[in-house]
Amino acid sequence: MSALPRHVLNTGWILVLPFLVLVVALFLGPIVNILWLSVSEPTPGLGNYAKLFTSDSLGRIIGTTVRICVISTAISVALGYSIAYAMVHAADASRNKMLGLLLMSFWISVLVRTFSWLMLLGRNGVVNNGLEALGIISQPISFMRNELGVLIGMVHYMVPYAVLPILASMQSIDGRVVQASRSLGATGAQTFWRVYLPLTRAGIVAASLLVFIINLGFYVVPAVLGGGKVLMVAEYISVQVLVTLQWGTAAMLAALMLFGVLALLFLMSRFMKLSTVFGGGKA
Amino acid sequence: MHDKQFMRESLLQGAQAFQAGKMGRRSFLALCGMAGFASASVLAGRAEAAAGEIVMWNWGGQSEECHTSAIGNAFTAETGIPLKFDTSGPLQGKIKEMVDSGNVTADVCDGDLFDAVALGKTGHLEPIDYTVVDKAKTIDGYALEFGVSIILYGYAFMYDTQTYPDGAPSTWADFFDTTKFPGTRSLYKWANGSLEAALMADGVAKDALYPLDMDRALAKIKAIKADTIYWGSGAEAQQMIVNGEVSMGMVWQNRGRSIENDTNGRYKLVTNQAIAMPGAYIVPKGNPGGAAVMKFIATAQSVQAQLDLFACLGMTPTNPEAIAALAEADQPYSITSAANLPNVVMNDPTWWGENTDAAVNAFLAAIS
Repeated sequence: MSALPRHVLNTGWILVLPFLVLVVALFLGPIVNILWLSVSEPTPGLGNYAKLFTSDSLGRIIGTTVRICVISTAISVALGYSIAYAMVHAADASRNKMLGLLLMSFWISVLVRTFSWLMLLGRNGVVNNGLEALGIISQPISFMRNELGVLIGMVHYMVPYAVLPILASMQSIDGRVVQASRSLGATGAQTFWRVYLPLTRAGIVAASLLVFIINLGFYVVPAVLGGGKVLMVAEYISVQVLVTLQWGTAAMLAALMLFGVLALLFLMSRFMKLSTVFGGGKA
Repeated sequence: MHDKQFMRESLLQGAQAFQAGKMGRRSFLALCGMAGFASASVLAGRAEAAAGEIVMWNWGGQSEECHTSAIGNAFTAETGIPLKFDTSGPLQGKIKEMVDSGNVTADVCDGDLFDAVALGKTGHLEPIDYTVVDKAKTIDGYALEFGVSIILYGYAFMYDTQTYPDGAPSTWADFFDTTKFPGTRSLYKWANGSLEAALMADGVAKDALYPLDMDRALAKIKAIKADTIYWGSGAEAQQMIVNGEVSMGMVWQNRGRSIENDTNGRYKLVTNQAIAMPGAYIVPKGNPGGAAVMKFIATAQSVQAQLDLFACLGMTPTNPEAIAALAEADQPYSITSAANLPNVVMNDPTWWGENTDAAVNAFLAAIS
């Protein structure tokens, strides 16, 4: 018995076990419940899933959601990449200041941001009024209450999320690699495209995944800045749960989002080690 | 609540004992575990502990103080039962979830009469006890088995007097006429009121609206989609107007007066063809406060309570005596005052109770 390796049945694990069981039960329980609802409400069977193919509006809502999420992810990651690049190459003191500002933006609630955008870019907002006063435009530009407004709001919220993983991967690059590339005759642009960018690939993938997945669940921003015309899955689910009481449809869409994200992770895992993406072991 | 306090105290004592070395590590961890596991049952116990009070489930904001001053104080003075609030908003889905979970923590919901139809049918509500609540103290047809209308709100529109200096819009037909009245307008995004408005704009007489012709209404809604933005809450509707985002905006009628004041009269309320909505008190099945809640609802029907609610929230009384007692200056803002009544539509809660799901989803599909 003494041969039983101590690290397999560490006493620490026994202490943690009840809580682990609790967390798993509290986490998996509701998910199983959602999956069950999606095949049992209002009648047992796959009727809710069949709606995906028979209902035009569901297809359109999912299409809108994916389109907006892809565009906003692309813009957020591109902006995040530039910011991370600037941060890595800044002096220590200013990098810390930049990091501080970045983290501070996490403290501002999504509601405050959303309404601030209305104040800035709304029909009677600071920007439109300013441009009109300067005589540059005669009619206010519709920045808000449409898809553009939703994108502005989402990108603004997601850029800090994009910066952090990219920053981490940039910080782990050995600066001598770049020097080596330059000393072998590559131009700055060549070095960036062929050495630097590939080395930050894991960071870009991590940022894109993170941003895309969070984007899928956006509710307040599209609901307010979209002016009611940009209906995304999260808001639709909420309406089905709270107003129309079609819990089966809501559960089906929630399950679809869950499996969509899992499928995305699976696809990614075919191309790269996910543990690298999420900062696990070095590849 | 006592259970929770007991648990907290035992944990504290345990921690002190553990620190002082009087309690073993294992016993302390077991105690922590018990406290953690017990917290769920403590929460569940809240419902039983609440039996000595009436919990009103409303929408927060001003309504908490208004319901306290208009109904709660009189009710407590008479019965000795305190009134508490849950201000998270009793949407149908939340009421259904609460009743289904078996942990009912609210006694009366400040809901809609169509909620009473929809949730009464599915067995989620207690019937109203009309030996305590008075059917004569509400509008004819608005005292239903599972809910009674206490106040009316409504859908009306406001317009910018500066955008339309010569000839103000006065009907829904004007509201939907983007050639004669150009500019952005706003509608409610969960279909209610918007559908009725669209049908009236399309020429349907106000007495012939129900059952609503969905296709006809949605065609009208879609026709002005490019010039329309949609709001989901009263605050948002108000903000769209006050910030000058719209030249004409649908609003909850009871907010009209404060918007006129906020904009110094720049935006004017049009009550012609307004849609009067019966706000109703409904009781979730198995409410912890029991039958005492009926007494609370009866208190809310009193003339004084109704007048106070009007003064505080702008909601129109349903008790005919209270409507008659309104001051002259308040008449235009009371949706069912003698002057307004011939021109308003009375919402049909039965149609909405039975068709909300289809109507809302079709509306969302049309506007998105």
